[in-house]
Amino acid sequence: MVAIIQRRSLRDFDWLIAVLAIAIVCFGAWEIHNAQPTETYWQKQLIGLGIALVAMLAIAFSDYRRLVELAPFLYALGLVLLVIVLIPGIGMKINGQRCWIRLPGSLGQFQPSEFVKIPVVLMLARYFGKHRSGLLTWKELFTGCVILGVPMALILLEPDTGQSITYLPLLAIVLFLSSMRMWVVAAVLVGCIAGAPLFYTVGVKTGLLHGYKLERINVILDPENADKRGYGYHTWQSMVTVGEGGLMGARGSEYSQSSLKFLPEPHTDFIFAVTAETTGFVGCLLLLASYALLLTRLITDARRSRDRTGMLVIMAIVGGLIFQIFINVGMVLGFLPVIGVPLPLMSAGLSSVLATFIAIGFAISVQLRRFVN
Amino acid sequence: MKFVDDSQNLRGRLRLIQALVLVLLGVLGVRLYLLQIINGWRYAEIAENQRIRLLPIPAPRGVIFDRNGHLLVDSRPIYSVILSREDTKGIDRASLIKPLSEGLGIDGEILRERFDQVKSQPAFESILIKAGASQTDIAWVDAHQLELPALRVEQTPQRRYPANGMLAHVLGYVQEISPEQLEEPRYKDKHYKPGDIIGQNGLEAVYDDYLRGREGYRKVIVDSRGHIQKEIEVVPPEPGQDLVTTIDLDLQQAAEEQLQKSATKRGVIVAMDPNNGEIMAMASYPTFDPNLFSQRITTKAGRAEYAALLNDPQTPLLNRAIQAKYPPGSTWKIPMAVAGLQQGVITIDKSSLVCGGGIQIGNKFTRCMGNHGTPDLRTAITKSCDGYFYRLGLKMTITGIMAMVDEFDLNRRSGIDLPHESLNYTPSPELKAKMNPRDSEWRDIDTVYSSFGQVYDIVTPITMLRTVAGAGMGGKLYIPHLLKELRPIGQPGEADYRPSRGFQPTDPQRPNPKILPIPEEQHKVVVDGMWGVVNNGGTGASIKMAGFDIAGKTGTAQVVGLGKDSGANKDHSWFVSYAPAYKPEISVIALIENAGFGAAHAAPAVRAIYDVYYKKTRPQQDEPKNSVALRIR
Repeated sequence: MVAIIQRRSLRDFDWLIAVLAIAIVCFGAWEIHNAQPTETYWQKQLIGLGIALVAMLAIAFSDYRRLVELAPFLYALGLVLLVIVLIPGIGMKINGQRCWIRLPGSLGQFQPSEFVKIPVVLMLARYFGKHRSGLLTWKELFTGCVILGVPMALILLEPDTGQSITYLPLLAIVLFLSSMRMWVVAAVLVGCIAGAPLFYTVGVKTGLLHGYKLERINVILDPENADKRGYGYHTWQSMVTVGEGGLMGARGSEYSQSSLKFLPEPHTDFIFAVTAETTGFVGCLLLLASYALLLTRLITDARRSRDRTGMLVIMAIVGGLIFQIFINVGMVLGFLPVIGVPLPLMSAGLSSVLATFIAIGFAISVQLRRFVN
Repeated sequence: MKFVDDSQNLRGRLRLIQALVLVLLGVLGVRLYLLQIINGWRYAEIAENQRIRLLPIPAPRGVIFDRNGHLLVDSRPIYSVILSREDTKGIDRASLIKPLSEGLGIDGEILRERFDQVKSQPAFESILIKAGASQTDIAWVDAHQLELPALRVEQTPQRRYPANGMLAHVLGYVQEISPEQLEEPRYKDKHYKPGDIIGQNGLEAVYDDYLRGREGYRKVIVDSRGHIQKEIEVVPPEPGQDLVTTIDLDLQQAAEEQLQKSATKRGVIVAMDPNNGEIMAMASYPTFDPNLFSQRITTKAGRAEYAALLNDPQTPLLNRAIQAKYPPGSTWKIPMAVAGLQQGVITIDKSSLVCGGGIQIGNKFTRCMGNHGTPDLRTAITKSCDGYFYRLGLKMTITGIMAMVDEFDLNRRSGIDLPHESLNYTPSPELKAKMNPRDSEWRDIDTVYSSFGQVYDIVTPITMLRTVAGAGMGGKLYIPHLLKELRPIGQPGEADYRPSRGFQPTDPQRPNPKILPIPEEQHKVVVDGMWGVVNNGGTGASIKMAGFDIAGKTGTAQVVGLGKDSGANKDHSWFVSYAPAYKPEISVIALIENAGFGAAHAAPAVRAIYDVYYKKTRPQQDEPKNSVALRIR
C-alpha cells in the first residue's frame, strides 16, 4: 500500500509548483543578500526554506480531507494564538505593532497572523465545500463573514492593518465560487471602484480619514510633490530605486539605494524595489512571469480537484497570493499606499515563507488525490 | 471537473479568476515599464544626486594688517559642536533641546530658534550648536556619542579682533549670514548658503570678496543619514587675500587714547595723509567689541550685550567719523575763505572786511566772539572772526556758498571704502524750505548762518577733513581710503590695489579725486591764516609745536544756541588741521562731543597725534618742545 501511494505520489506530484516556489525563494534570498549584504537575513531565509520544504512535503503527503475535518480545531487554535499575541510580555512589540510571539532559544519569533490564514481557508472550504444546488444564501454569507471577521478583528487589534486586509480575498474568492449572483459581484466591484474617491472625499471632509493614513493616500495621488522627507519618503525612495534599475539593472550593489539605506525595509516590504534595482526591467518581468506561471498552475490544479473542498482550498490560496503580490508590488511601484504586506516567497521572513509553503503543500495534496476515492 | 453544479458556471468563473490574475500582473508590468524604461534616466539622476554630496571646506579668511605689517585681525581655530541635520531626520529636534542645553550650557531658547530657522532651509547640512567648545564640552560630546550620534566636534576658524574695541568701526566684523540676507540678490547671485560667515560691516564687509577666498569641497558618497561612505574628489579651498590697511597702529592707539580720556569720552579723531587720502587713524568713541559678533552673538549673554549696544543712547555702534553729522562751526571758514578768493568777492590785496562785533540783519543782531576791527583774511582766519565771515557770506550770496559746497564735494560722500557713509546737509533754499516750511523764503540771515558753519551746515568729520586737507594741498582733493594693498595669494609682492576698487564709480554721490583750480597766491593767504591759528597767536596757539608747523582751524559747534551751552547741550569741540603747514604730510581732525571750545579740547587731542607722528618720522631729532600753554596745564 505504502509503495503504491509513493509510486503514484511521485508520478502525480506537482513538481512544477514546488520547483517554481523554491526557485523564487532562492532568487529572493539572493536579493535579500543584495539588500542587506552585511546581515544574515539571506541565510535565515534559506534555513527557513529548508523548514518550509519539510512542512510542505508533510502536508502534501497527508490527506487534505482529514485536515479539513480538523479545521474547527485548527481554527480555534489559531484564534488562541491571535489572542496570546496581544498579551504584553508574550507578544513582541515592533514598530508599535504587537504581531510576534517570541520562540524559546534562538528560534526567533513567529507571526501568528501569517499562519492563521490556513485554518481560515480550511474553515471556509469546509463550510462552503458541500455540494451546491442553489444560489448563495444570506445565511452562508453571514457565516462566511463571521469565520473571516473574528481573526481579522483580532489582527486589527495588534494593530496590523496590512496583514488583516490580506484576509479579505480569501472570503471573496470563496463567495465568488459559491454561486454568488454575477450582478451582485459586478455591483460590488463597481461600488468599490466608484466608492473609493467618494470615501476619500467624505473621509477627509468628516475627519474620519486623518493622520498618517490620509497622508499616505495623498502621497500616492501625487508622489512627485509629496513631502519627500516625511510621509512621502518610502514611496518616493522606492520609486527612485525601481526607476534607477532601468532595463538591465543598476551597477554593482556597493552603493545601491539599499546599501546606502535610502530605501527603507529593503529586505522585507521593499524587496521588489531591490530586485528592480539589481536586475532591472528584465528581471522584474521574469519574476512577474514566474508568479503568473505559479498561479496559473495552481488554478489548473484547482480545476482538476476531485471535490469542491479541494478546489476552494486552492482557489482561496490563489486569491491570497495574487492579492498580496499586487498590493506589495503596487506599493513598491508607487501607485498604492504604503502598507505592511510582504511579497510572498520573496520578502525575508520565516513565518511568511513557511505559511506560503504550507498553503502550496495543501494545493499539492489536493492535486495528488484527484484520483483517490 | 467532477463537481460541476447547476447553480453557476464554475468553469467560467475560474477562467475569470485566471484572467484577473494575469490582468493584475500585467498592470504591474506596465507600471514597471513606465518607471524603468520611460523615466528610468530621471530616477537614476535623482538617485545619483542624493548619494553624492559636496561638503564645503571653508577657505581661511585673509588676515588684516596695519600699514607697517602689524597684525590687526586674524582667524584662529576653535572647536565647535555641530549637529548633523541628516542624522536627526525623523527625530523630534525639540527633544534634543533639553539634553543639549543642559550638557553644553547653552540657552534653550537660542537653540530652539536655530532649529526653527533651519526648518525652512532645505540645503542645510549641519547646525552649529556651540562655538568655542571647551575641553569639558568635547568630553561631554564624546561621552554621549551613543545617545546622540548626530553630534560631532569640528575645528572651525574664528575671527579675532583687537581688544578694547580698537578700530572696531573701521574693521567691522564678520557674522553668520542672516536668512534675510540670503534672499538679497547680491548674496543670492553669489550662491551664499546658510551658515556662511560673511563680513557684515567695515572693511570686512567692503572687501569681503577678497578676504573670504574660495571654498573648496569634498565630493563624497553618503548614505541616507549623511554618513560618508567614500570620498570621490577633493578640491582644496583657495585662501582669502590678506589685506593691508593704511592704518598706522601707533597713531590709531594715540587717537583712541585721546578719545578715551576726553571730557565726554565721545568723539572722533581721524588722521589722513593729505598727499593721497590714506587714512592713518580713525577712531570713534564710544566703541564696541567686534568679537561680540564673531564669537559671542549666539549666546544669551552675547545677545543681551548686542541689545544693550543698540539701545545705548551714546550710540557706540555708530562710526562717528563717517556716519555722524555735526555743524562744523568755524572750521567751515576755511572753504569759505578759499571760495571767497576764488569767486573774486575779495582779493588778496583787498581782503579786509569789517568785524563790527557782529552784524545787524533786520531786527536781529548776530554777534562775533570778539571785536576784531577790520581784519584781512589772514587775521580773520587766525582769530576766527565771525563778523568777517558774515559779511563774506553776504558778499558771496547763497549762490556762491552753494557753488563752494559743490566745489569741495561737501554735498557728496567722501567716498571712503566703508559702508553706510552719511550724506551732509548743506545750505540751500530747498533745505530751508524742508526744515522750516512755515517760513521757507531764503533771507540774508540764513546766508549769515550758512557762512560760519551753523544751522544749514551739518557735515561728517571725514568730509570736513577732506576739505581742509584739500585746501592745505592747494586744491588737491583725494578720496579718503583705508585699503593700502590686497596681498596676492602665495608670494608677497606687488600691491594689488587700485584706488577705485571697492567703490561704485557709478554712484553720483561718491566723488572722484579732483583738483580745484586755486591760484598759488590765494592758497598761500589761506594757509598763512591757518598757520597763524597755531603759530601766530591764533585760537589754537596752545598746541604750537616747535619744528613742526601745524596749520589748522578750531571750531565750536553750537548744539542748541549761543549762551545755552552746558551739560548735554554743550558745544561740540572741533579742530581740523594738517602739518607741516607749507609741506603737508599728515592731516588730523578731532571732534569731541559736547565738550566746549574747540581750542580747549579738540586741539590738544590733535596735538597728541602729531607728537606720536613726529616721534615716528623724525627719530633722530629731539622731541619737540611743548608749548608754554601746554606746560601750564
